[in-house]
Amino acid sequence: MAPLRIPRVGIGGPVGSGKTMLIEQIVPILSANGYKVSIISNDVISKEDAERMRQNLATDKGLLPEELVIGVATGGCPHTAVREDPSINLSVVEELELKYDFLDLILIESGGDNITTTFSPALADYFIYIIDVTGGDKYPRKRGLGIENCDLLVINKIDIAPYVGADLKIMERDAKIVRRSKPTVFVNSKTGQGVDAVVSFIITDVLFDTLPKASKNIN
Amino acid sequence: MMYMNIEIGNEDVSLLQMSDSFFPTGLYATSSGLEALSKIKKLTKKDIFYYISTYIKQVVGPTDCTALGNAYESCMKKDLSTLLNVDESLYSMRLIEETRSASTRSGNQLLKCVSIFVKHKKMLRDYQNAIGNGNATGIYPVSFGVVSWSLGIPKNKAGLILLYGFTVSVVGAALRLGIIQHFDGQKIIHELRPVILKSVLDNIDRPISSMWQFAPGLDILQMKHEAMSSKMFIT
Repeated sequence: MAPLRIPRVGIGGPVGSGKTMLIEQIVPILSANGYKVSIISNDVISKEDAERMRQNLATDKGLLPEELVIGVATGGCPHTAVREDPSINLSVVEELELKYDFLDLILIESGGDNITTTFSPALADYFIYIIDVTGGDKYPRKRGLGIENCDLLVINKIDIAPYVGADLKIMERDAKIVRRSKPTVFVNSKTGQGVDAVVSFIITDVLFDTLPKASKNIN
Repeated sequence: MMYMNIEIGNEDVSLLQMSDSFFPTGLYATSSGLEALSKIKKLTKKDIFYYISTYIKQVVGPTDCTALGNAYESCMKKDLSTLLNVDESLYSMRLIEETRSASTRSGNQLLKCVSIFVKHKKMLRDYQNAIGNGNATGIYPVSFGVVSWSLGIPKNKAGLILLYGFTVSVVGAALRLGIIQHFDGQKIIHELRPVILKSVLDNIDRPISSMWQFAPGLDILQMKHEAMSSKMFIT
């Protein structure tokens, strides 16, 4: 029998936009709701992000086994690994599906890239693109495939917007124009402000509000 | 009026498709240990040439190309049992876990991709089923042999594609590591032509019992690469 397909969420964004920290905020909330998650972290240069998450989420907080935080080096080609040739990531996903059928969700973090990043639909069912205010409030209107096409746009580091001259109202307005009916969430992933909304979108739009597999087994 | 040209056919286009780095197998993320070597010493263009040349002569030729040739022949004879033996033999000769893992992942993705557009080839299907049942690994050179046969690519040309693909993957890694620039890379590929050709001719018809490799220095480099905490490539 073929293994069950586990829903996947791709998270992309420029270097330093806060992808890893967003994941570190998302996972505890999903876990508190009973969902079992695995993380594949594509790192361009090192496995530091994967190891940081493993230490933080697995070793320190015990939210998931260490072997479910997987670092994948991508040969200096972050966009290739999630779009043109996602075969490495697909292999890892398939191995997870075979070995850990209790998982409710797989998060795939791309390496830092530019605003043209997109995820192959063969790899991710849902694409979150994250930018941060330090790039300036021009970013939503600058468009780019990542900003335009993602399922959920996350604008991070809202707490420092005044210090970098970024007007959040302009960003909100432009995001609405560029993305039309597709949602945008403003967050501070350091404190967790706004992250609940991101998780709600995941539970509704990716998991379709289904109960965690673990709770179904109990019942 | 139907125009017939006997000089080119569908299998030639398939050959181009399979030799194109655009084909999705994840090989762009491999450096075959070059990344580890680049941390130990400052490398030159000549070093890159000799690195690839040694790898082809001592490893990829006598193992991967031999395995490909035997896999191809097994498909021609519809001999699944021998094909699985070739798969097992090559897998057991991949000494370093990182390289074994990368090769089987690429091989499996190759089979999955090709099986979307190649139907009605029983050996391709049977090999995939064997992998699904845990009776084969799908290691890349063997998968490539099966796929090449399925697409009607001549065996010796399949060998060429395999070794050319290996060459380009390491040259690409050298480029991205900043060791060489893009013209250097093309010059290296050009100068490796006789090495690639000779290795294919020496190994494509080699029997599986004569498969060999000897490059302990390269093995040690791959082991060092496995242990690196910060790396750009998966091998």
